[in-house]
Amino acid sequence: MQVDQSQILEALWETLYMTGASFVFSLFIGLPLGILLVVTRKGHLLENVAVFNVLNIVINIFRSVPFIILMVAIIPLTRVIVGTSIGTAAAIVPLVFYAGPYIARLIENSLLEVDKGVIEAAQAMGASPGQIIFRFLIPEALSSLVLALTIAIVGLIGASAMAGAIGGGGLGDLAITYGYQRFDTVVMLLTVAILVVLVQGVQSLGNLMSRRVRRS
Amino acid sequence: MIQFEAVKKTYVSGKQEVHALNGIDLTVETGEIYGVIGFSGAGKSSLIRTVNLLERPSTGRVLIHGEDISTLSARKIRDTRKDIGMIFQHFNLLNSKTVHHNIAMPLLLAKTPKAEIDRKVAELLEFVGLADQAKKYPDQLSGGQKQRIGIARALATNPSILLCDEATSALDPQTTQSILDLLRRINQEYNITILLITHEMGVIREICDKVAVLEEGRVIEQGSVFEVFTNPQHATTKRFVRSVMNDELPDSLLEQIRLNDGTRPIYRVQFTGNSVGQPFMSRVSREFQLDLNVLFGNITELQGIPYGNLIVEFDGALPEIDRALASIRNDNIQVEEVQQHAG
Repeated sequence: MQVDQSQILEALWETLYMTGASFVFSLFIGLPLGILLVVTRKGHLLENVAVFNVLNIVINIFRSVPFIILMVAIIPLTRVIVGTSIGTAAAIVPLVFYAGPYIARLIENSLLEVDKGVIEAAQAMGASPGQIIFRFLIPEALSSLVLALTIAIVGLIGASAMAGAIGGGGLGDLAITYGYQRFDTVVMLLTVAILVVLVQGVQSLGNLMSRRVRRS
Repeated sequence: MIQFEAVKKTYVSGKQEVHALNGIDLTVETGEIYGVIGFSGAGKSSLIRTVNLLERPSTGRVLIHGEDISTLSARKIRDTRKDIGMIFQHFNLLNSKTVHHNIAMPLLLAKTPKAEIDRKVAELLEFVGLADQAKKYPDQLSGGQKQRIGIARALATNPSILLCDEATSALDPQTTQSILDLLRRINQEYNITILLITHEMGVIREICDKVAVLEEGRVIEQGSVFEVFTNPQHATTKRFVRSVMNDELPDSLLEQIRLNDGTRPIYRVQFTGNSVGQPFMSRVSREFQLDLNVLFGNITELQGIPYGNLIVEFDGALPEIDRALASIRNDNIQVEEVQQHAG
């Protein structure tokens, strides 16, 4: 094996850092967008066809660009934001552009599952649109939202491995530079094993949390 | 008081226009229990939703205590909605929250202090008979219990009006009865005006003071429950009344009527209220030397007033029968001959 333990730990840390940071930023963007996608649609709380259509189309555009292309395409923007296009911090920018719209769709999906009758009851008791969103829609969808966000995190772990291709660091980088380019099968298998454990852990935690918040 | 004035509601989907409400004029007086009945698609659901503006009328007005709330600002409309409680066929509770939290919700929205909320929720749970269920979640309760929670939630803001949207349609007959009893108590103890929609005539008979029959977005008949049940005019109303009053003549009797040669005429005798107490049959029988044979009938109670409906065969001299009929009518009892083709 051509790498030592500290290199693996560093790569693991980079993966966790990229995934964690990009998840937080993506949630910041995706949550409001997801809510808007629900409440601006026809017949909903704050019906607004223009806002809905624009959001819908823009999100679809981002969602249709393959991540590897997206990474390269927004390099100029990445330079403006982080000052460089190489490294772990630089990888976070395309990851956010990738996961933000994705999370918006996942959140939209979860919120749409909430029974229309509950929204009607909320309106009937005189709740404002803000109260309906934060006291009815989100609490009722919370269990499903947690599962949806778990999917997003798993997706980000996968995407962050690809970010290794632009020198983003992390386990993916390790697998490519040592496992693939230097034919070190042990490193390759080891990184894959770590990723498998990571994904299993995240999914189990997500399932547990989803059950926990079903009743709050 | 709720007043509907020429209320129309039209939905446009594509090029198709659907007229859910076709000019509704109705007045629900304060303190009344008013029932609106109709088959599905008659417009009941749209009608009840125009009261708290979950649906806006396309034209016409709905006045709440004399005020047209559709002209108010969004904030004022929300304030008015707090004065109009609503319960639903499928309860529409928050499954992620406890019973306590569900009932507290309208008060939380109004930023009521916690101590006040706890006091009010405890009082409401006591009132609906679920004082020991506060910590449960809706999916741990039966349908009837969920509706009680829905009712408690609707009462949390001390509304003056309660809207019931098919509130018992998802419940079994026994549970329906207990929910209706609860609604009557709400009406009597809190003097809350109740507007309910249903497709079950039994619900109307059980608790309503007045009833309107809705068909294709129009009120085809309205009046006191007593009037409408004892003297339905419209064919649809007759069908609804028949569904609970069972005054349809059995086949064997129809056959007997068909074969009647006219020497022993058959009459339908309807008596209500005071006239129920009179022994009119034995009196007439004695006085006019007639044999009266009751072929079919039932005596029931509507709005606390007894109501009877008998099919009677009169056997005797025809002139005496005519005199007997006049005498019966004199006692405020309705008599009409059952025709041979009657059904």
